[in-house]
Amino acid sequence: MPGLGARLGRGGATTTLASLADSDCIVIMGSNMAENHPVGFRFVVKARQRGATVIHVDPRFSRTSALADLYVPIRPGSDLVFLGALVNYVVNHERWQTDPFFREYVLHYTNASVIVSTDFRDTEDLAGVFSGYRAEQRRYDTASWHYAGQLHPVEGERWPCRPLVEPERDPTLQHPNCAFQLVKRHFARYTPELVEEVCGVPRELFLRVAETILANSGRERTTAFCYAVAWTQHTIGTQIISCCALLQLLLGNIGRPGGGILALRGHATIQGSTDIPTLFDLLPGYLKMPRAVPEHATLAGYFASERPATGLWYDMPKFLISLLKAWYGDAATPENDFGYTFLPKIGGDYSFQSILTMMEDGIIKGLFVMGMNPAVGGQNARLARRALANLDWLVVRDVHEIETASFWYDAPEVRNGEVRPQDIRTEVFFLPAAIAAEKDGTFTNTHRLVQWHDKAIDPPADARSEAHFVYHLGRRLKELYADDDSPAGQQIRALTWDYPTTGPHQEPDLMAVAREISGYRVADARPVAGFHELADDGSTACGCWIYAGIVTPEGEHRAKRRRGDERASPDWGFAWPANRRILYNRASADPQGRPWSERKKWIWWDPDQGRWVGYDVPDFPATKPPDYQPPPGAKGLDAHPGTAPFIMMLDGRGWLFVPHGLVDGPLPTHYEPWESPIPNLLYPTQPRSPVAPVFLRPDNPYHEIADPRYPYVITTYRLTEHHTAGGMSRWVPWLAELQPAGFVEISPELARELGIATGDWVVVETARGSAEARALVTERVQPLTIAGRAVHVIGMPWHFGFGGLATGGIANELAALIEDPNSLIHEAKSFTCTIRKGRLREGKAP
Amino acid sequence: MAELRARRYRRAPGEPVSTATRESYYGLPVIHGPHWHWPIVFYFILGGLAGGSAVLAAAARLLGGPPARPVVRAGRYLAFLAVLPGPLLLIVDLGRPERFHHMLRVIKLRSPMSLGVWGLIAFSLSAFLNALRQAVDDGFFGRSNRLARGFRKLPDRALAIASTVPAFFLAGYTGVLLGATAVPLWARNALLLGPLFLCSALSSAAATLSLLLARRSQNDRAEQALAQVEFLALTGEVTLLEAVRRKSGPVIGRPLRRGAEGRAFAGARATTAAALVLHGLALLLPRRWRQRLGLLASILALAGAFLLRATMVFGGHRSADDPAATFALTRSDE
Amino acid sequence: MKGPAALEGTTRARPGAFGFLTDTTLCIGCKACEVACKQWNQLPMDDFGFTGMSYDNTGDLGATTWRHVAFIERISDREGRRPTTLAPFQSNWLMLSDVCKHCVNAGCMEACPTGAIIRTEFDTVVIQQDICNGCGYCVPACPFGVPALSPLDGKAHKCTLCYDRLKDGLEPACAKACPTDAIQFGPVHALMDRARARVSELRAQGVDARIYGDQALGGTGGIGGLNAFFILTAPPEVYNLPAKPELPQRRVLPAFFTTALAALALGIATLFSFRRVGRMHHG
Repeated sequence: MPGLGARLGRGGATTTLASLADSDCIVIMGSNMAENHPVGFRFVVKARQRGATVIHVDPRFSRTSALADLYVPIRPGSDLVFLGALVNYVVNHERWQTDPFFREYVLHYTNASVIVSTDFRDTEDLAGVFSGYRAEQRRYDTASWHYAGQLHPVEGERWPCRPLVEPERDPTLQHPNCAFQLVKRHFARYTPELVEEVCGVPRELFLRVAETILANSGRERTTAFCYAVAWTQHTIGTQIISCCALLQLLLGNIGRPGGGILALRGHATIQGSTDIPTLFDLLPGYLKMPRAVPEHATLAGYFASERPATGLWYDMPKFLISLLKAWYGDAATPENDFGYTFLPKIGGDYSFQSILTMMEDGIIKGLFVMGMNPAVGGQNARLARRALANLDWLVVRDVHEIETASFWYDAPEVRNGEVRPQDIRTEVFFLPAAIAAEKDGTFTNTHRLVQWHDKAIDPPADARSEAHFVYHLGRRLKELYADDDSPAGQQIRALTWDYPTTGPHQEPDLMAVAREISGYRVADARPVAGFHELADDGSTACGCWIYAGIVTPEGEHRAKRRRGDERASPDWGFAWPANRRILYNRASADPQGRPWSERKKWIWWDPDQGRWVGYDVPDFPATKPPDYQPPPGAKGLDAHPGTAPFIMMLDGRGWLFVPHGLVDGPLPTHYEPWESPIPNLLYPTQPRSPVAPVFLRPDNPYHEIADPRYPYVITTYRLTEHHTAGGMSRWVPWLAELQPAGFVEISPELARELGIATGDWVVVETARGSAEARALVTERVQPLTIAGRAVHVIGMPWHFGFGGLATGGIANELAALIEDPNSLIHEAKSFTCTIRKGRLREGKAP
Repeated sequence: MAELRARRYRRAPGEPVSTATRESYYGLPVIHGPHWHWPIVFYFILGGLAGGSAVLAAAARLLGGPPARPVVRAGRYLAFLAVLPGPLLLIVDLGRPERFHHMLRVIKLRSPMSLGVWGLIAFSLSAFLNALRQAVDDGFFGRSNRLARGFRKLPDRALAIASTVPAFFLAGYTGVLLGATAVPLWARNALLLGPLFLCSALSSAAATLSLLLARRSQNDRAEQALAQVEFLALTGEVTLLEAVRRKSGPVIGRPLRRGAEGRAFAGARATTAAALVLHGLALLLPRRWRQRLGLLASILALAGAFLLRATMVFGGHRSADDPAATFALTRSDE
Repeated sequence: MKGPAALEGTTRARPGAFGFLTDTTLCIGCKACEVACKQWNQLPMDDFGFTGMSYDNTGDLGATTWRHVAFIERISDREGRRPTTLAPFQSNWLMLSDVCKHCVNAGCMEACPTGAIIRTEFDTVVIQQDICNGCGYCVPACPFGVPALSPLDGKAHKCTLCYDRLKDGLEPACAKACPTDAIQFGPVHALMDRARARVSELRAQGVDARIYGDQALGGTGGIGGLNAFFILTAPPEVYNLPAKPELPQRRVLPAFFTTALAALALGIATLFSFRRVGRMHHG
């Protein structure tokens, strides 16, 4: 998410799956789209039928590759070199330099012309780090990354909240310190030859891809990128994604039909679970969770620190205060900062991997696990299970008795006697959960589309929905704390918790929850039409501002609508924000407000009506003319000119150079994965990310770069037939029989070296653990020539565990705890391992 | 699928899965084979025996005169007794034996099995009546009571004549039944299996009757007739066995050369050929030797009939499981 | 006799016949068809195990599997080089969703001695489960290896083309679930028109496409066409399909004829043998 958010303004897919059908070229990279998004993939097939070119860049030839026109094998973890080389190719290409389209788009819609401070030093100057690196603390002081001419921000401020001084610009893009030239210089060594050396992609093939992408970008043609967690799950994952955003900005594909970037998210509603977040550092609508620091002690302090003067986030107080009114109701008044003190404040990294270590170290005593399976799905899964075994209590809610609930009597370490159930003091509660068809609710899919699903059948026996559990838990907590005046007690008591219930089991009425999310006027409970009607004086309440208006004033939930058409389908579901389908769609028109071409028109300025019209809701103030110039001192969106499509950004432009928002650099830079068989050929003295959070613990050992004990690259991934950690698929007979056992995919070359035949048992080992599986010897995996020598890649699906019908070794026992510094997501897509023929002996510890 | 997994061939280290789909789809069969086993083998043998016996009994009755009466008697009884287990074997072989009567819902002229059901019923009825008529003559119902008088009213010659068509049908239809499937070994030889089974039926019936009547020297002429029929039927059988072998060719004929079925087929050819030779030899030798050789030939002929049916049924399984055979049968000629 | 080229794209499906066009060039091997079929028809899980046959752990159509996705890896060329430029649409890893062909002239139906197998008003072929007595004759009578006996209930089973769904105006479960519309349901003649156009389009783009289930390929030898037919990009044998099968019952009459001839010959011979006996007696 931060990858797209930092350059474009929102951390989500910029376009819709259906829009892919309008693409002229689709690049699927860091994704196995056909296998993991089969329904969305139908639009790729449609595009192909209309003549588009489909390119799949992936270490394995998968079911996606089978439908592609061009398959590019690539070494896992080298994606940024590939993307950077595309940037280098594009900006040095004659057509890009001479076609007026690119000049217009880049000049007006990006910060290409902004001149950056002369304090800034690039990685090319400092042998692999940017200026401001604090090696002992493993972090950057980003002060030197700011624009020239801007007020120097106070140390510790996250965004420049003082009114922005209009930065110096060079519209000719020649100034050596303008963002464009910095980009050009930064990627100058990302040549096709480097791609061949580092990625293992032959240079002719790389050039073919580059030519195709450039040829399909411009006024008349657009190219789309589709990516998934094979980009995200790296220590430089955010930067990989961000590099794609940079490239698409240069190519003028953002905001245009058939263009953009599709972030393919991993579950049916994982987008929803970041919108109304289960993430520790976000409040609904991507507001930042307040931290336990002096600046955030009061609401005013929070806004001083977080609220920018320009862009849509200027309205942050309306969003946050409406949220607080929704949560705390009458207990939220102007006098008490609308209940801001009731909000928990975070004191550190409480991301998933950190939680595991805190559990293992006895800091966290109890855990609720709902719809997740860390015993199989957690990095360093043995550590995860040890962590679970160290809790006082554990509540697992799931459809099946997943490994997280049964580890204490059934895990491999219990079966082989290493651990005895009687020594595990965790009290484990297993509560059966209802599945989607057994409850009402919505899914928010990968392109921000919210769709309602009806309850079709009652859940069996004691199975209940999440809503039921959380509602009644909250109700009982409120009863428990009814007379408690402590700060914790006040937090619980202040919560509004008055949802009506229905039925014999007292299910909370989800439409009531939906109305709260959608927003209403406190005085008369009238629904608000959208986030523009939210106020910062406590007169409105809204559970999630980006969903504001999803329930109409007449009480209809727009997620229930099902009228589709050939274009934006505005009457099918509701896409946040405000039902805008393609984000940043102001960019689908030129600076004068006319469509770039008839073929690629989407929205455009109608001078007679004085508004933006077209096929979609404008992601832009509806009546702001293209020639609008902001007066000095203007605030919020008024500070953006009529040619600024990226309304969430401070200056309304897409950022080629990112002065704020990414903790590991304003420009994407290639570093090797934390575990790699080769050194960093680009920056030999800085092989790995300088700021990636590491977990230096005895139970989380890392491999050295080019560690001879672990010479192979391993990548883990999913299959169509199973779902993530297997809780919803390995117990289902019809799915289990499709892929009944864990397996490992290896190339014939490696198999010959090691004497492995298809069907043989093999053991994959790392310093963290071992996993056994059956071997599948296939040419779909191939060794790549990296820096002159053959590097073997091993592929392992990570679905399998010891429970259910389809069992297998747990791939995540091999992985280590390590995070991307921006997203705190783990690195699972490339690390190193060794492999041998044979089985794990019972009782043998790794 | 368990059977399919057991059939998985050995893979060499380093061999990618794509090598398993070069010649066929991982060696998996293209079609599904029949589920018939020993019950059906015995049904074929017994059916052939019954049909052949009825034919011999009819011919003996019509043209053989008094010397052939033992043949008529033994033939009619054998026809009836041999067909008795037939329906039971078929019913037991059904997946839902209690629904056996569903076979009687329709008659389908293009389905050898449907025709076979009705043919079996017709033959059973005819064999029963023939045997009953014979039993009356043999005094099983007494001589002069009402039952015996009643049954004697059954027209002896007409019954014999009427039995011939069902008899020939029973003896040969099973070959047509096999040929009207997609099993390559059977389909390729569809035109030959009926005649082959017919010849084998007649030879095995003649052989059995010869063995049954062996001790009575006054049946010398009838014995000779039986031996002659056996000889002619064996000639047909040997010829058709060779024709089947050649028509099947190297790929489809693989079950006839390999494994247990291959050995059975070789045995069938050897025993029938030997029986034929012995019969031929017997014609040249004095009567004492003729009799002994004849009996030996009959035993060999019976063995051959048994091995033939076993080869064909179990060879069919092998053939159905061999994708190369199906492709040889159905290859596009481009 | 029409030559094979003239028979391409033709079918003798009856008016009002419904069936499938399974266009493998759009198939992504997701197996939604397998799961939807099992779920709708409440079929049990099959034999269980890792086969190592690429991603095909199902293996074959059977009594409790009525859609089966086959996987054929053709990644390398003859020299062992892996390609990067691929043919349009599905290529190099072939995936086919196999199903009962619902033949225009069906071997299983003609073989069935109880009349359990019938042709419905949609011209599909269905085994009536209250009549089948498990004789198993339909099993080897199918040139494509579709029906099978179930050890659980002793009867023969196969795809019904979701007869129950068709009666209520719904399309079959597999067609509904297929995300890329590789499985298309509709009137057979309309589907065949569509298939011909698609094959032309594919060939123009250099894809070696062909229809499997017209009278030239697959629906040959008296079968008259397959109501559930396919578009393939390799010879049928690659997908474990017979190229030019024959309706087995075409051999019934000729086989009875040769048998009758043999009967005649043997009958005459037998009569002659016993005539001599009679003669000798009287003479």
